[in-house]
Amino acid sequence: MKLKVLTLIIAVAFLSSCEGESKKAKEVSETQVIAKKVVEVDPMKDKGIGPITSIALSEVDEVMAAEGKEVFKTKCSACHKMSKRFVGPGLAGVTERRTPEWIMNMILNPEEMVAKNPLAKKLLAEYLSPMANQNLTENEARLILEYFRTVPSK
Amino acid sequence: MKKSKLLMIVGSFLLLGLFVFPLWNITLEAPQYPIPLGMDIHINKFVDTHEFDIKNINLMNHYVGMQYIPETISEFKIFPWAIAIMAALGIIIGLFGNHKLFLVWFVLMSLLGIAGMYDFYLWEYDYGHNLDPKAIMNFKNPDGSVMGFQPPLFGTKYILNFTAHSYPRTGAYFLFVGMLLTLVAFFVGKKEAKA
Amino acid sequence: MKTIFKSLLAITVVSLVLSSCGNGGSKKGSQGALSSSAAEKVYVAPGEHDEFYAFVSGGFSGQLAVYGLPSGRLFKVIPVFSVDAEKAYGFNEETKPMLNTSHGFIPWDDSHHPDISQTNGEIDGRWVFINGNNTPRIAKIDLTTFETTEIIEIPNSAGNHSSSYVTENSEYVVAGTRFSVPFPQQDMPIDEYKGNFKGALSFISIDPEHGHMDIKFQIRMPGFDYDLSHPGRGDSHGWFFFTTYNTEEANSLLEVNASQNDKDFIAAINWKKIEEYVNNGGGKKMPANYAHNVYDEDTHTATSTMKKEVLVVDPSDVPGAIYFMPTPKSPHGCDVDPSGEYIVGSGKLAAELTIHSFSKMLKAIENKDFDGDAYGIPILSYEATLAGAVKQPGLGPLHTEFDGKGNAYTTFFISSEVVKWKLGTWEVIDRKPTYYSVGHLMIPGGNSRKPFGKYVLAMNKITKDRYLPTGPEVTQSAQLYDITGEKMELLLDFPTIGEPHYAAGCPADLLKPKSKKFFKLEDNKHEYAITSEADAKVVRDGNEVHIYMTMIRSHFAPDNIEGVQVGDKVYFHVTNLEQDYDVPHGVSMIGANTSELLIMPGQTETFVWEPKQVGVWPFYCTDFCSALHQEMQGYVRVSAKGSNVPITFTLDGDAVDAE
Repeated sequence: MKLKVLTLIIAVAFLSSCEGESKKAKEVSETQVIAKKVVEVDPMKDKGIGPITSIALSEVDEVMAAEGKEVFKTKCSACHKMSKRFVGPGLAGVTERRTPEWIMNMILNPEEMVAKNPLAKKLLAEYLSPMANQNLTENEARLILEYFRTVPSK
Repeated sequence: MKKSKLLMIVGSFLLLGLFVFPLWNITLEAPQYPIPLGMDIHINKFVDTHEFDIKNINLMNHYVGMQYIPETISEFKIFPWAIAIMAALGIIIGLFGNHKLFLVWFVLMSLLGIAGMYDFYLWEYDYGHNLDPKAIMNFKNPDGSVMGFQPPLFGTKYILNFTAHSYPRTGAYFLFVGMLLTLVAFFVGKKEAKA
Repeated sequence: MKTIFKSLLAITVVSLVLSSCGNGGSKKGSQGALSSSAAEKVYVAPGEHDEFYAFVSGGFSGQLAVYGLPSGRLFKVIPVFSVDAEKAYGFNEETKPMLNTSHGFIPWDDSHHPDISQTNGEIDGRWVFINGNNTPRIAKIDLTTFETTEIIEIPNSAGNHSSSYVTENSEYVVAGTRFSVPFPQQDMPIDEYKGNFKGALSFISIDPEHGHMDIKFQIRMPGFDYDLSHPGRGDSHGWFFFTTYNTEEANSLLEVNASQNDKDFIAAINWKKIEEYVNNGGGKKMPANYAHNVYDEDTHTATSTMKKEVLVVDPSDVPGAIYFMPTPKSPHGCDVDPSGEYIVGSGKLAAELTIHSFSKMLKAIENKDFDGDAYGIPILSYEATLAGAVKQPGLGPLHTEFDGKGNAYTTFFISSEVVKWKLGTWEVIDRKPTYYSVGHLMIPGGNSRKPFGKYVLAMNKITKDRYLPTGPEVTQSAQLYDITGEKMELLLDFPTIGEPHYAAGCPADLLKPKSKKFFKLEDNKHEYAITSEADAKVVRDGNEVHIYMTMIRSHFAPDNIEGVQVGDKVYFHVTNLEQDYDVPHGVSMIGANTSELLIMPGQTETFVWEPKQVGVWPFYCTDFCSALHQEMQGYVRVSAKGSNVPITFTLDGDAVDAE
């Protein structure tokens, strides 16, 4: 009798845990579906959310790019490499994939971006670590953008 | 057996309750003592109401120069004998004596009781007034005399930040009831003698 | 016989019932008016902020706790004089020098009297100073970082109790000795105390810009016990007042032998006059040995310097600068009202509060209304300086604070109450019990020209049955009273850390805007800081190994280190590369004989690990920093001594780099 009760308890425990698992799995797939549905904007038209609404680019300024590289090294390189995927995405050729405004907004306003911007949300789902806010100034973000422009995708 | 004799014997017998229960209690209350400090006075010893109360009373009282409550006092040697002898005497009188002797016993016991209370008062007075002249704190009455800290003989009294209560306890009620019974025994015996 | 038995039983029962009536009267009554309106007054809704900061010393915890008023919520315990494993204070290499003294590294002290810096007699919220009572020291806490940034040891002092009060423009923070000692210290019989021991009153100048402390001069006073002090303000600015006890100069059984004199003194010190004397080359430089420890916010590192000299002034050198005002029965608190006119002396064994008048004191000095002298220092006649007395206010008066509306609030230890009385008329207006045995009390800004008389915080030494019991040791507590009305109203009871000895308070708006959010990486001048993962490295120097490590959500760089050997001394120099508010990371190493590090964004800290066993040992982040906090970990390979495993350090299989 005792044994029967014990088995029953174990069985119930198992069942309920299985139920939990399947529920979780369902939730995950649902969010993925939603994410997929929304990401149909042309990335090169998405300016993102943040302080930068419009920016005009001219020829690459090598001095600015060099300064940008230094800022990048201190504030960003712990998570981003140019050549490869790391904690965050590899960044070589990022200016070919994203608008300059989106890039700067992602640097300056990452919390809101990963919460609301479909492209950023998709990246978060893929990389799991949310983009950190390193409290850069607009000028520093601009310098980094200039640096990015000098590193094309291979 | 006659009713009066029975009453006399029972009354005298009740005195023996003093060997079991405390006679008197002094309790001190103050805001910072949510559990008040207390001392039970038996006929042969002082006892803490709560463990170490007497030690804590002593510690507190030394600031105003009061003496420590002694481990024992000479009365503790006399009281038990007095009570035991009076109880025995009462029982013997109850068995063999008449109602007049009952009254004699009662008067004698009352005198002893008054003497005991007076003795207690003297001790309390000394305890509250015989202060160390080098006491840490000296308090004066409004008239300039040195303030005393004598606990009340009976009742409640405010002493600085303390409220002191002094009331009889179970042993004393045994005594009172016992004595009352012996007095009743006298009147009943008187009636019985007339009859 | 049966009836006898029955009646006996009945009598016994009656006796018992009767006797229970005599059982010590009524229990203590109400718990104070905890009406719903009191609850509303202390309720700070989730997400909202308190109106005041309260810096409550931890007493024998050695620290300073930051609470909010009126909620009584604890925000932070700032380590000051005691090591704190939680924050690595006294454990990491950067802060160990903060606790250096002439006696070596001391991991503990007894912190007593916080006081906030002032400008023009009003609290300015730049720094809070606090004294270490046991090994005499004064600490300065920066109120932008809420961290201890400076500690200075006080030579020739012992039981640094009449400290650390600040003058009206933060010219000086003052440290007075409670125990007189041989001055300078020397080997001598204790019973030769009288006349030979001296009491040091130290005036420590505060650099107006950085707050750096420096002992400007020490006054070598007679061998009394200097208990508490307060600066003059307004007209009395330039004077400082110290209560004394043990003017009997007893050296044993002080509880009796130092309670014999009918009156002790309040020492009135014209520090401006002594300052002038010193500025003109007065005073005598005496050899001394005391530590001055400064924490540099740019290097995130403290340095300790031993100072070898102190300037000493004898009262006889500056006639007319020091006077004694007789004050009854071992005065404890020495409190100056917001106008600077009244000096309240709380004779802790006296039946009344004594209030001296500053203007009467000046007049008495002018008229030479003296009543003898003590070691050449004139004693002013008692009647001449007396402004008034609060009669029969309570038992065991200790401390007084002011509401700025003409009222004073005094604590009574023995009768366990706060008593409100009126300045000038000296009449008692209200009294409220404290639970139990109150010491200091605090009104925000109460020690300044401009108190914020909305609340008074009473700090109790004893709580007994006030909280859920926790074994023999129970919490001490603070109690908040609303003092906006004629009568005080008890609003809140809250437990505190250590002994809530004294507190300083100020409006939250004074500090909130300038509270630092994080340290800028570009300002990090730590010797072993690296500001980029690319600079991470491991360097061997004999048997010392220095690991230059970074941390960011959610990894260390490097996180695989090889080449360390048993017997090495391994320094982890860890920099937090985050640049955002409230993203600290922690780090700890298995088997390291020290605490964790808790590193704020942009900061570098160092701990030392001396591996004793061969193996591969993990380290990890101790502060739950992110969703992937559990992934924030790494390994150090420890080889046998003399092994030929080379030093390597990698992250994700590669040498760490920025490209």
